[in-house]
Amino acid sequence: MPNHTRTIPPLRTLCTAVCLALGLGAATSAQAEDPVRIGAIYIMSGSPSVYGQFAQQGMQLAVDEINESGGILGRDVEFVLEDSQIKADAAIQAARKLVYSEQVHALMGLDSSGVATGVVPVVPELQRPFIITHAATPDVTGKLCNRYTYRLSVNISQNTKAAAEIAEQTGAKRWTTIGPDYAFGHQSWEFFGNYLQELDPEVELMERTAFPRFGNEDFTPFINNVMDAEPDGVLISLWGGDLVNFIRQANNLGFFDQDFEVLMTLGGATEVMSALGTDMPEGIWVGTRYWFAAHDNEVNNAFVSAYMDRYGKPPSYNAQGAYTGIQAYKAAIEKAGSTDPEAITDALSGLTFQAPNGELTFRAGDHQAVVGPTWGQTAALSEDYGVRMLDPMKTFDGDLVTPDVSETGCSL
Amino acid sequence: MTTRLMIFGVLGLVLAALFLLPYGVSYFYIFVATEILIMGLFAASFNLVFGYTGMLSFGHAAFFGMGSYTTAMLLLHLQVPLVWTLLAAMFTSMLLAAVIGFFCVRLNEVYFAMLTLAFGMMVFAVAHQWRSVTNGSDGITGFPLTEFGLGLDLQLANPLVYYYVVLVVVVLAAALLYLVTRSPFGLILKAISENPERVSFCGLNERRFRLIAFIVAGLFAGLAGGLFAPFNRVASPDMIHWSHSAEAVLMTILGGSAYFLGPFFGAMVFVLLETWITSYTDHWMLFLGIILALMVMFFRRGILGTVLDRVLRR
Amino acid sequence: MQSFIAALLNSLDIALLLFVIAVGLNIIFGVLNVINFAHGALYMLGAYFAYTAMGLLGLSFWVALVVAPLLVAVVAIAIERLMLRMVYDRHITDSLLLTFALLLIIDESVRMIWGPSIQVVDPPALLTGTFSVFGVNYPVYGLFVIAVGIAMMLGLWLLFTRTRLGRIVRAAALDREMAQTLGINVPMVITGVFAFGAWIAAVGGVVAAPMRAIGPAMGEKIIIESFIVVVIGGLGSFPGTLLGALVLGFIHGFGGRFLPEINLVLPYIGMALVLLIKPQGLMGKGASA
Repeated sequence: MPNHTRTIPPLRTLCTAVCLALGLGAATSAQAEDPVRIGAIYIMSGSPSVYGQFAQQGMQLAVDEINESGGILGRDVEFVLEDSQIKADAAIQAARKLVYSEQVHALMGLDSSGVATGVVPVVPELQRPFIITHAATPDVTGKLCNRYTYRLSVNISQNTKAAAEIAEQTGAKRWTTIGPDYAFGHQSWEFFGNYLQELDPEVELMERTAFPRFGNEDFTPFINNVMDAEPDGVLISLWGGDLVNFIRQANNLGFFDQDFEVLMTLGGATEVMSALGTDMPEGIWVGTRYWFAAHDNEVNNAFVSAYMDRYGKPPSYNAQGAYTGIQAYKAAIEKAGSTDPEAITDALSGLTFQAPNGELTFRAGDHQAVVGPTWGQTAALSEDYGVRMLDPMKTFDGDLVTPDVSETGCSL
Repeated sequence: MTTRLMIFGVLGLVLAALFLLPYGVSYFYIFVATEILIMGLFAASFNLVFGYTGMLSFGHAAFFGMGSYTTAMLLLHLQVPLVWTLLAAMFTSMLLAAVIGFFCVRLNEVYFAMLTLAFGMMVFAVAHQWRSVTNGSDGITGFPLTEFGLGLDLQLANPLVYYYVVLVVVVLAAALLYLVTRSPFGLILKAISENPERVSFCGLNERRFRLIAFIVAGLFAGLAGGLFAPFNRVASPDMIHWSHSAEAVLMTILGGSAYFLGPFFGAMVFVLLETWITSYTDHWMLFLGIILALMVMFFRRGILGTVLDRVLRR
Repeated sequence: MQSFIAALLNSLDIALLLFVIAVGLNIIFGVLNVINFAHGALYMLGAYFAYTAMGLLGLSFWVALVVAPLLVAVVAIAIERLMLRMVYDRHITDSLLLTFALLLIIDESVRMIWGPSIQVVDPPALLTGTFSVFGVNYPVYGLFVIAVGIAMMLGLWLLFTRTRLGRIVRAAALDREMAQTLGINVPMVITGVFAFGAWIAAVGGVVAAPMRAIGPAMGEKIIIESFIVVVIGGLGSFPGTLLGALVLGFIHGFGGRFLPEINLVLPYIGMALVLLIKPQGLMGKGASA
């Protein structure tokens, strides 16, 4: 009977050694000299990982700025970054690791709606404040909202309400969509359709839509499908590497020369625009959570020039979201006067602070920041920034595009 | 007799260590240990097909996924006690394994591997595209954790409690699985893996034994999946993807397929290495690839297998 | 009608690209009896070498098409000599596992060297733009892919049926010991075939680069597709590979277009049906490539 052996003692000894080290760290973390630790979860692998790289740069910039000017409550701040792998289970494991192993005081991040709907219900168990800086599903500040979860970035309902206004002005009546086959793509289409029909009851939402799998490589069948349907307007909610791939293949098939309007809800991401350069078609409407050239205020001017100096490219919306996330925690910790996670959580509710895209407030009712997207038509390529600029350009007022708390389905 | 005593002694120590583990390690390692136990059961169930019966399956995650979805959906829609969801998970994955196995055991070697891959990916594609039922690629999330059932007052949302639930269930399941491998049935499986023709000559229906092995393996994989969904709070298509099947293969190769506890040991090495290496580098898969290549080339018996071979030969 | 033609052309360019990749896999299987799980990774390596040649060194697409596959072939020689050689006389699952390890190593090395995000290269000026057939606009590059596939097909057919080298390889595939006694240097033939299979995969990678995004996951996706192709067509069968590629190309081209709700599951249903009805593949194990 040779089949049984010492399976676990090695685990135990190894664990004990590691955990002693970790345990010591935990015991001393209450001392004032130790840094404030913020755990971040972004997509660092796979085709959208360029979003994670921008987020990392944004956080690094914020952390360095804060530490150079005296830190938070006199303490340095640092961040620990984990990869979400754009999977909910990986992100949940990452969050547990950050809280229990890395002993962070607060959490931030999340790039995908699908990941966010998995993570957010678990956040109350972790008992750490969580600021979402990218994932856009309305649910996480709607029916899934909870005490610990906040979002500073534009969500789907804010963005598609703005998109519907643009769509209404184009005069196009028959609309269809191409979006990724998960929560984000389907919800973008649903919210856009509802808002657009409110503005113009005559609009027709076509049955024939295209939802290719996220990470799909060949979009040709889906592009042909939509061109065949001969719509007046197409809402495109693809993002990341998918959007880059899609636009290149669509260019080849003459998609943008057709007789319909094209609205890309996330086309204004500089991650996408700089990858495409002049392959990005001119004269189409693109939306973005934040556009570096849309805000003429002191905070934004300093942010953009610091970012340009350091990284040689303009900050994307994800870089701005991550940068602002750190700044929001600074404001909340200073308001709370402590790094106790519960105190930070309380301080975030109703908090108002200066962000590059203006003054932001986390509503107490659903923890969503009152903020609007920027939309514009793609224009000439800028030599300085390496991306097409937006002209005309419109930044929507958060108060006008954010639904009332009573409509979100959140009760806090 | 002394070897047997020693083995029971070691086994007792292992169980005691597992039971006392939460008192000796930091809170985070409760999650790590829970994952090791569940993945160990998954790999061990795979090994019933691979190590004992000689069939390399690349679709074993289908049963793990079936168990996960069954548990997640029952918790989401009906909020039944966990013990019933686990039984349901075992039942549904057993059914799935019966259907898939019915076809797959007709083929051998590479063709078997390819057909299990095809069926596994078919289940993946269904979970991915049947949005109205499975919630598509987002998977099933946000389900509540109910009571355990059987009149036990257990707070399943407490990771420590859940660790003990997993520990008890996995130890019981492993014991059952072990008894299967030591039974006459298990010995026939072993004979099939060594020489299928000879088994046929003995008048035994080789295909039927392989099918039963496949179904039993599917059932235990379903149990592992059923335990995993409440632990990770998600049931998603990723758990069905062939790369998840490959994880069971990797763990088994790492530990060694010739000994019953090899896959558990492999799961432990895999999860611990992943936890540690990913803290230092994003490129953990590179280390994994190198380790796997070395194992296949030089230590085909796995870590535990190689060590035990040495110890027992002495 | 127009949508039918568009789907047809799309199916053909998917099919012929798949053919180029899968045929290398099948040749390696035919001679080495190894299912090369890392074949997709070698395809990806071809695309990345082309990206480096074109994007960073500024070489033309045509130079990249020559240089990148040769470099991949060199990598393949090292792999065969240092690793694969150790498992030939073992069970076939060992080579499957070893090449799976290789897949992990190559994928992750690519991530380390080129980063995790996707890269793009432009098609050469000659092949940009669209052409029009029956009122359907289709990219010229799609036509080029079809042409490469056909050229590869003819070239391989000539090589294996009309040349001495081709006959030597087929002899080694049929019976290694017999070939050895006939004075053929079998180990060298095996190394050569593995490198050649990798070279073909890399040609596919370079050709795919301008129309698909180059990313570290591209190999994992294509290897499963290639498995489907060779299983449907028949392991070890050269004409079968073409048939399998056409079947899968049509499933993608028409499935994605007309049955988007179930397009993901279709290839696997096709693969399973073939395995169950005719496990040797539609074209059986005929002329060993």
